[in-house]
Amino acid sequence: MAEYEKVLKTAQLASPDLFGSAPYRWKEVDPEVKGERKVLFGMCRMCMQGDCLTLVHVEDGVVVKIEGHPGAPPNYGSLCPRGNSAVMNLYNPYRVKAPLLRTNPEKGLDVDPMWKEISWDEALDIVAERLKKVREKDPRGLVVNEGWGQRDTIIRVPFQKAFGTPNEVGSHGPLCTVHYATCLVHANFPVSVVDLEYCQYHITLGRSLGPNFATTGGTRKFAKAIERGMKLVVVDPRCSYEASKGEWVPIRPGTDLAFLLAMAHVMFYEIQKYDEWFLKNRTNAPYLIGPDGYYCRDPESGKPVLWDPVEKTARPWDARFKDIALSGTYTVNGVECRTAFDVVRDQFAPYTPEWAERICTVPAATIRRIAREFVEHARIGSTIEIDGFTFPFRPASLNTERNVTNHRGGTYADLTGKIINMLVGNIEVPGGCLGCGKRGPVLAPGPDGTVMPAYEAVGVPFKFPPDHVDMAEFYPHRHTAPHLTIKAILDPEKYYLDYRVEAWLSVGGNPIRANAQPDVYVEAFKKIPFVVSIAYHMDEPTYLADVVLPEHSFLERMRVVAFWPQHQSVSNETNGLQMVSINQPVPPVFNTRHVDEILLELAERIGILYGEGGVYDQLNRSTDFIIGDEGLVLREGYKLDLNTKYSLEEIFDRQLKGWIGEGKGLDYLNKVGYVARWNSPKTGYNYYYFPEDRTRHEFYFINLKKQGDSLRENLRKHQIKFPGIDDEEYIFDLYKPVPHWVENSELNAPEEFDLWAINWKTPYYSSDTGNVTGNPWLAEIYAKDPYEAVICVNSATAQKKGLKDGDLVIVESRYGKIEGRLRTSELFHPDAVGVSGCYGRGTPQSNPLNRKGPNFNTLLPLDEKTLDGVSAGQEIAPRVKIYRKGERR
Amino acid sequence: MVIDLLRCVGCNSCTVACRAEHGTPANVQFNKIKKYEIGKYPTAKMKFLPMPCMHCQYPPCLKVCPAGATIKKEDGIVLVDENKCIGCRACIVACPYESRHFLWDIKGYYPGNLPTPYEALKHKKFDRGTVVKCNFCAHRLEKGRLPACVETCPAQARYFGDLDDPESEVSRLIALHRGTAFRPELGTEPSVFYIKG
Repeated sequence: MAEYEKVLKTAQLASPDLFGSAPYRWKEVDPEVKGERKVLFGMCRMCMQGDCLTLVHVEDGVVVKIEGHPGAPPNYGSLCPRGNSAVMNLYNPYRVKAPLLRTNPEKGLDVDPMWKEISWDEALDIVAERLKKVREKDPRGLVVNEGWGQRDTIIRVPFQKAFGTPNEVGSHGPLCTVHYATCLVHANFPVSVVDLEYCQYHITLGRSLGPNFATTGGTRKFAKAIERGMKLVVVDPRCSYEASKGEWVPIRPGTDLAFLLAMAHVMFYEIQKYDEWFLKNRTNAPYLIGPDGYYCRDPESGKPVLWDPVEKTARPWDARFKDIALSGTYTVNGVECRTAFDVVRDQFAPYTPEWAERICTVPAATIRRIAREFVEHARIGSTIEIDGFTFPFRPASLNTERNVTNHRGGTYADLTGKIINMLVGNIEVPGGCLGCGKRGPVLAPGPDGTVMPAYEAVGVPFKFPPDHVDMAEFYPHRHTAPHLTIKAILDPEKYYLDYRVEAWLSVGGNPIRANAQPDVYVEAFKKIPFVVSIAYHMDEPTYLADVVLPEHSFLERMRVVAFWPQHQSVSNETNGLQMVSINQPVPPVFNTRHVDEILLELAERIGILYGEGGVYDQLNRSTDFIIGDEGLVLREGYKLDLNTKYSLEEIFDRQLKGWIGEGKGLDYLNKVGYVARWNSPKTGYNYYYFPEDRTRHEFYFINLKKQGDSLRENLRKHQIKFPGIDDEEYIFDLYKPVPHWVENSELNAPEEFDLWAINWKTPYYSSDTGNVTGNPWLAEIYAKDPYEAVICVNSATAQKKGLKDGDLVIVESRYGKIEGRLRTSELFHPDAVGVSGCYGRGTPQSNPLNRKGPNFNTLLPLDEKTLDGVSAGQEIAPRVKIYRKGERR
Repeated sequence: MVIDLLRCVGCNSCTVACRAEHGTPANVQFNKIKKYEIGKYPTAKMKFLPMPCMHCQYPPCLKVCPAGATIKKEDGIVLVDENKCIGCRACIVACPYESRHFLWDIKGYYPGNLPTPYEALKHKKFDRGTVVKCNFCAHRLEKGRLPACVETCPAQARYFGDLDDPESEVSRLIALHRGTAFRPELGTEPSVFYIKG
């Protein structure tokens, strides 16, 4: 508490009046609105999900209260602590209040930019002129950096496409590469989740169901599931909020792959009770695999073949079978083939629970028990009728996310989770494991009879020299890769770039705080000739910018969106919901503009707004990233004329008229706040669209193998290597069609680094959206929270090291070090050092609260050898040592 | 009020919603959540205890108030009349639940800066040198709404109603789950009950 007050007091030193010397003088109440009371329809944006509907109460032009919109989905009147603190996001004297131009050419996080306030016209002209030159030279020279700080723009992607740069780089991604397996097996995005409407036995690893970071929808569904008695198993180095409501299975950080391989081993070799119908009819497990690891194909049709044990012959996958062999070795066209199921099963033979226990510390008996309970609860063979439609009923699911996937071998861990789920046949059916994004015919089979890989499982085509500054050509399934981007900026020859990054446009991204080794990022920023930041506050990338374009806070922002199914879990609270809703803007407090108005203005001045290929044309052609045509897109009859200027409101109006129909657009939404359509809950399960044997999921991950083989061929062809990797097998070992054990970069660290650092999202910090660490209402609470902005260690571990609660300690990895107050606790694995959220860093001109607390990300590596070579995800459980400050080393 | 401790996940939405509803000055929180651990590794758990004012049937704070500023309304809500409060702080000492706060100063959240328009407006109703506390959002109840902490709770862990009515949801929940008060031995008879602890 004392520390919190001390930090608050330092706010006086960094006075925020345009970063001059006096406190900011707030505008007087406009006499015209004096006495006016109104309630606006709002949408929260205090987390990356940003879908909670609110009511915003305004009196005398001042926002006096923001509350959940009673009765309205998806939050039904509730809000999380961040959403409840949103008023402080609006009235924040540390916001950027006017366009700024740097006058000090020297850049650094401790160097005053010496801002000069300029007019909007000047600022836009300066930026447009520079970007125009970049574009004329080589449009790839512009990097557009998106991130959690700005999720409400509809123009950013069309702008980047019209500009002609492939370099959209997200700063939020590489510490959360959780997508590939879901994109491959479920053809969905971003992740797969549990069906909390029906699940009876849920195993969750390295992720949150909602309560850990207090998302309203997730927490509502979670509380109901716990209340109705769902058994919850949380495999985690930390006894989280969620683990405290179920069975906590402590695991050594970064070793989930071993646990998962062993669980699958128990299912394959000890339990041996599978959903055989599912495996035979809804996966590629019975496909015959040749000695080269590829499908054995019918010579005439070219289709993969399966073995009919009754007819004793191989037939194409879409033929009629008397029975299908799941197991066995068969000779087809003179070649000996095995079923994919056998190939996969063989791979799991060595991974006994005893083997895993030595690595992950979870007792072998616990792994066996969990595997048995999982299979028993799955009720293989049972069905459920929902709204007249009969589904397989599998009320058990295992789900993994970032703390499982963000290590070398993390993609294998996620894929092993898929195998575990497929063995009980719970994919996309009630009670089971569901892709959390688009609902509809996404499981359509391709020519080989299997679900077509979607989103990030499609892969970026190879090209040499690479077009993408983030090295997408070398990591075709990468999520986002700012870490590779800055390395390529710093050393373009090593990364084979035949052009140079000449400009950087920040639109909500902050890789300096949200990624690893901030000092390296700062060096890269210094090297970029022209940096522009569309900014809410003076965060790190803004402090290093040449021109700052101040944007509205989310409450001031007109926003119209279509609802995305939620990321944490599924239940009938939102199953079947399609919705559009509006955030009606409150009067702007400063001289700021809507992010999309800024981008449209820039596009016009650069000359990329109108005509074919321009921003309007791109917008006409774009679909919703997650839900495709069901999103707010410009439908036929509402497309923009390529040579007419439109306001943002006019664009929203056209999107809405296409979605709502009956000529109802923005005026209508302004009156009603949201339009919800409820489809039958059965449409919430994608099995519904391709039931029975009408599609197949990859059980044998042939598309992963294909990508690896193609990448190898391309590297050979150009006689090149993965930048920063000496032995390419180190990466190709991650492209096998069956997951296997690989060691991550931290497992065999030098002995002195005897612990592992771990990190988690919290109710006060779920992502760097809405500058939550600078919000004083939240700061007041996290300052009192035992586990926030401190360094947590198991009590026995602390005792062994002679450390006690409250000590000032240093945590040091091989990549960086941080300091903070020690919290001893029983809630942590003895090998873990826990640091929550993303505190620390900040700039001299941001709210001093941003500088409070240890910055976990400083401990993380940037080295390619530490990545998961498929997703390009970074290692997030580095080996560390801990010692009292000033005592040794 | 009934608080379901199985449902509560300790997120502090209630605490912040309360602050937003009342616009309390810096460092004054009517609602709080005590977070603590039970057990030893590897069977330890995190526990949460949300604490609004207990609105006791026999409020110790009322007894000690020399100015008659603390009143208990007919519906059981315990209030402070800021016009009568002389700021002696006897009630703060008397309250075993730390539910009362003395306004040493009306501070904004950006020290060294002027109060935000929100703070300027909301702080008008607070008087320096008086005691403030949770009032179960009496102003909302008058309009037929529930207290802000109840409506905002993402876990739906809070219930509000008439304890005198044996048929009310809160009475039924207390009976069904054998609801308990916090520190019942004090004889304060709180109106806040905890279930499934």
